[in-house]
Amino acid sequence: MEEIRKRRLVIKAFHAETVREGQENRITRAREIEVAPESFAEKADHEMIEQIRIRLVHPDQYQEETNSIMDVIPISAKVLGEIGEGVTHTVTGAYVLLTGVDVDGIQTAEFGSSEGVIEEQIAWGKAGTPKRGDELILFEVTFCAGKGQDREAVTRAHALCDEFVQQYRECLKKLRGEQCTERREFYDIERPGRKKVVIVKQVAGQGAMYDMQLFAKEPSGMAGGRSIIDMGNMPLVVTPNEYRDGILRSMQ
Amino acid sequence: MGIGPSTKETSLHHFRDPLLDVISSDEELDLLGIIIVGTPDNQEEKMLVGTRAAVLAESMRADGAIISADGWGNSDVDYVNTVEQLTKRGIAVSGLKFVGTSGGFVVESPNLNAIVDINKSKGGTETCVLGENSVTELDARKAAAMLKLKMRRG
Repeated sequence: MEEIRKRRLVIKAFHAETVREGQENRITRAREIEVAPESFAEKADHEMIEQIRIRLVHPDQYQEETNSIMDVIPISAKVLGEIGEGVTHTVTGAYVLLTGVDVDGIQTAEFGSSEGVIEEQIAWGKAGTPKRGDELILFEVTFCAGKGQDREAVTRAHALCDEFVQQYRECLKKLRGEQCTERREFYDIERPGRKKVVIVKQVAGQGAMYDMQLFAKEPSGMAGGRSIIDMGNMPLVVTPNEYRDGILRSMQ
Repeated sequence: MGIGPSTKETSLHHFRDPLLDVISSDEELDLLGIIIVGTPDNQEEKMLVGTRAAVLAESMRADGAIISADGWGNSDVDYVNTVEQLTKRGIAVSGLKFVGTSGGFVVESPNLNAIVDINKSKGGTETCVLGENSVTELDARKAAAMLKLKMRRG
């Protein structure tokens, strides 16, 4: 039997031309990304989070050091429709890295941590990592003593990082679709008569740095979502297009 | 043990997951959906959520399931139970998991005969290098091939 095409998702990529320090966090129409290093400094509450700094790492600076990398987040925004259908804009060539350590130097990680020289601590060009030559935007969180392993504080860091990414999402939504540098189209497809399969993704669900956020409003986002822990770790189903549109936000 | 930098799946990984690409583009397979299941702390809950995942797959009338996990150690208990529960319901199972030299299953089961080891490191260990041991397209293709074989045998 013929395959049945259902929901369509179009992902339009905008390759970052340049990434540089500036006065605000924004993406220009010429696909230049500006980063304001101190723009989140005042968000540190000094109860859970001591300090937040945003640091650019250009490809010729990969020899610099980093704290443990908590997540790599694509800058993606929903332009039309809900997650899983419609149009999504995403940035390529520049990615946000959330990093964490506490004031005593204890790295925020679950089992083994990735602090050290950036060049050596990343397996470049994997599905989940930047490739060599990409621009890195580090959202560097310093937690208060002992808070780097505290679920509330770690979740707070993810939420603040999401607020930061949201500033770029708002710019990304305004970019003209036809000016994208790459366009991909996906359908949720039913193939009657073929062997029916499911993918079962077992994800973290035990606490700080062992958590997973789902159902946020924006791709790979936090806001409006809920954690698998708060949903009792119970199984739930998402469609292929929801999945590839960033319905999961890693917190592990 | 849990999730280390080399096996963990970042938000970027989920955004462009090779496992989904391989399975959804395979014209011999009808992908029903992706079941997301957590890994709770205590034993009773581990059994519960995995069993519910298998019931869900059965209700979807799945012929086969590919199970993937990016952690190892105590989460193996969840993994092995879910594989058993799926198998018990007549669903063919293949999977992906970090094994290497240090991540061997902490519990054994005869149903674990189609699990692809996602280790890439020379020493077979958690290297603390971000993404080094994460799932690649080749891993996903192997798991898909193993699943097809098992489904064919019925």
